[in-house]
Amino acid sequence: MKKKALIFLMILMLAFTVVGCGEDNTADTQPTSEQPKLEGTTLKLFVAYDGEDEIFKAFTEDTGIKIEYLDMSSGEVLARIRAEQGKPLGDIWFGGGVDSFIAAKNDGLLEAYVSPEAEFIPAQYKDKEGYWTGISLVTVNFIVNTDRCKELGVDIPQTWTDLLAPQFKGEILMSNPSISGTAYTILSGLLQSMGEEEGWAYMDKLNEQIPFYAKRGSEPPQKAAMGEVTVGLAPDTGEALKAEGYPIVSVFPQDGTPWWPSPVAILKGAENLEGAKVFVDWCLSEKGQKILRDNCPRVPVRKGIEPPECLAGIKEAKLQDIDFEVAGNERDTTVEQWQEKYAQ
Amino acid sequence: MNNGRKNTPNKLMPLQKGIFTRDISFSNLIASSVYITLAVSVAVFIIWPTIAILMESVYYDGQFTLTQYISLFTENQQLLLNSIWVSTLSTFLAVVLGLIVALFISHSANRGKKTVFAVLLLTLISPPFVSALSYIMLFGRRGIITYNLLGLNINPYGWHGVVLLQSIGHASIAALIILGVLRGIDKSLEQASLDLGANSLQTLLKITIPLAKPGIVAAALICFVQSLADFGTPVIIGGNFTVLATEAYLNVIGLYNLPRAAAMGTLLLIPALIMFIIYRNVVKNSQYFSVRQSNESTLVLSKWLNIILGVITWSFVAFQLIQYITILWGAFARTWGVDFSLSLKHINALGSSQIASFVRSLEYSFLAALIGSLIGLILAYMIERKKFPGYQILDFMVTLPYMIPGPFLGIAYVLAFHDYPLLLTGTAFIVVVNCIYRQLPIGTKAATTVLTQLNPEIEYGARDLGASEIHAFKDVVLPALKPAFLISFINTFTTTMITIGAIIFLMVPGSEVATVQMFNAIKTGDIGLSAVIANMIIIATLGINLAFSYFILRPARHKDTMEKEMAYVPAIEGIK
Repeated sequence: MKKKALIFLMILMLAFTVVGCGEDNTADTQPTSEQPKLEGTTLKLFVAYDGEDEIFKAFTEDTGIKIEYLDMSSGEVLARIRAEQGKPLGDIWFGGGVDSFIAAKNDGLLEAYVSPEAEFIPAQYKDKEGYWTGISLVTVNFIVNTDRCKELGVDIPQTWTDLLAPQFKGEILMSNPSISGTAYTILSGLLQSMGEEEGWAYMDKLNEQIPFYAKRGSEPPQKAAMGEVTVGLAPDTGEALKAEGYPIVSVFPQDGTPWWPSPVAILKGAENLEGAKVFVDWCLSEKGQKILRDNCPRVPVRKGIEPPECLAGIKEAKLQDIDFEVAGNERDTTVEQWQEKYAQ
Repeated sequence: MNNGRKNTPNKLMPLQKGIFTRDISFSNLIASSVYITLAVSVAVFIIWPTIAILMESVYYDGQFTLTQYISLFTENQQLLLNSIWVSTLSTFLAVVLGLIVALFISHSANRGKKTVFAVLLLTLISPPFVSALSYIMLFGRRGIITYNLLGLNINPYGWHGVVLLQSIGHASIAALIILGVLRGIDKSLEQASLDLGANSLQTLLKITIPLAKPGIVAAALICFVQSLADFGTPVIIGGNFTVLATEAYLNVIGLYNLPRAAAMGTLLLIPALIMFIIYRNVVKNSQYFSVRQSNESTLVLSKWLNIILGVITWSFVAFQLIQYITILWGAFARTWGVDFSLSLKHINALGSSQIASFVRSLEYSFLAALIGSLIGLILAYMIERKKFPGYQILDFMVTLPYMIPGPFLGIAYVLAFHDYPLLLTGTAFIVVVNCIYRQLPIGTKAATTVLTQLNPEIEYGARDLGASEIHAFKDVVLPALKPAFLISFINTFTTTMITIGAIIFLMVPGSEVATVQMFNAIKTGDIGLSAVIANMIIIATLGINLAFSYFILRPARHKDTMEKEMAYVPAIEGIK
């Protein structure tokens, strides 16, 4: 009978250790200095990019490196890696607001890597020291629900000023800049292009039109598509929503379209560093760039690769002149200022 | 934990004096080492994270400061008031509704009581954001009820929606808790009241409801804490109405202001603790309780009372079912709001990552439920029966997670386990452990309730007949604890399947679970995909719960089904 008791106890302890050991065997990828055998190794990614499933499938087919990923807004990733104080939780940070990447670089949370493919990427889309490299350009769009516009009896807004029309009170949705890279780029872009004073004055007026700030970056276009609001400020042209049959159009704001390069970066202390470098090279390569473009309609950064058809209008759009270093360095103070003004 | 396990038995020997008068033997050595191991694990996985988060709220750059609290009280009073206002109101409504539904089942002459009971159990399985999502699908500006049917164009965002969803959402658990107490009260008291000339309404108000007070207060405590901790509902349908929990969430994920989030978390604890103290006093001062379920109540309600209870209860049931139907429909509708025709495209669109995380959810939930329930049973036995040294403290420590709002336990885990020697973040282990210890109060209390009703003489009898300590536990106590194990298993399994608040902070690539996938699907606005995942979670959880109940309760199959149902109730009632 005592034996049974012992066995019971051992099962209990075993249960604990089994759970504990479950994950340990993933750290088996010691990079060897010569020919590293990367096939069959695993890369862990934090992702803020659409079409990721297809993109990663293509990468695994090309390189044999497996991918595990977690979808997270860039603000969330930044908060997480800061909270973990540099302890690596993944290898790669893929997509999101460049501001968060710059803030992470300043905090020493990224690994520098200048990819041989980076020479084909214009200088303004990448970090000089290689802490992050742009993979595609993201533009801010108005996603406008045409049915709602008819009901309200207004024209489809074309400019930032149009959004201030009295009919749009309570009809415009933007997300919270502290979480969403899109919203932060809008804020930083408007402040930079209009100047601090005028920029905040505009934000004050825009704030009057906004019923509440969405807590998630891609909520505004969805809410606009569903008719919950009339205009959503979005990081894409809503192709997926259009395909679903929602009555929406997308508009590049004519008086200045905020934009940013969506980066890829290697996280400091990445366990599979060599694999991570392969991934960065692949994203920037001609083939990788085309696969990214075909699965997520954004403008490729690499010279000589055509933007997707739905973004043809971007050639006529007036892109804002944004200094991303400023945007990244001032992220914390600007967000705090915004929070004080509008968060309550 | 390993360290704590090795050197403990010898140290404990002197303490055993007086507890084990009968035999100081090998099995007692084992018992004490199990006790010590569990006590240490509780300290490590409940107390240490709590300390870590408290420290974070008062230390800034290595210095003690109360700035966070001062600024919360001076600048952010509105947040505090909002939180307390919404929680109080929705708790009140949930408890009233819960009481009505419970009375409907226990006292009214209406039909369909079993259906109502089944719906109550079903609604315990509601993945996060589902009610908020269906609320927008139904009552949004383009909601199928408000816009398509009624032609209205109303703004659904604000505190009203939050209160509505929380009170209806929490009414189920309130009803089950109150029902447990109602069934336990001595029906002869009602009979006496009737015999003395009181009518049914008077008896209900003056005898039945006062006797059910401990259940009502317990329900209020649970609802209140859950409302305080709920950030999902206000995030989705609160609009510009914010509460402490949403702001704390934003402070972590958006602003990385951990000290502030930690302070907000601590503030949430205070009202929860006050409620807990009130509750303890009520329970202490009430002398209700007949342990055996007495027969069906002889109280015959008046016709009007029956009708009122019936109308309210069935409206509640209808509202709940509509939510589930909406989500089911959402999974099959081509494009919600545009084209409601049926299609399989959302199911076909399920990717390998969604399937993988769904399987992972099942694994984690099963592990957490099994291990957590075992720990809960053993802890309850050691606290209630053995009264090991320090058992009261341990009892309190085990109860603590129930008062700690989910997101803060998540943040607390990040703070407590990201560094040597307890470097555990980034593993699946920490996710499962978080789920185990968060749900430990339920398992322990369920087992304690059963144990208080189990006459210790039976164990003594077994011991006198020569059974060892362990044997008495295994052959006498354990079988009696089956219902408690079932409750604990089902509760931990279900909550782990549907939880998000705490573990979202512990996710790393490769440990993602289905709720987080669903959260992402809602984030990208994919109603179809989120509805598909929600349904998968609901169906799998329901199926496993039913299978497990059948498996555990099979020997008692011939008994009345009502008794089987009762297995759910004592434990929920046991949350004390």
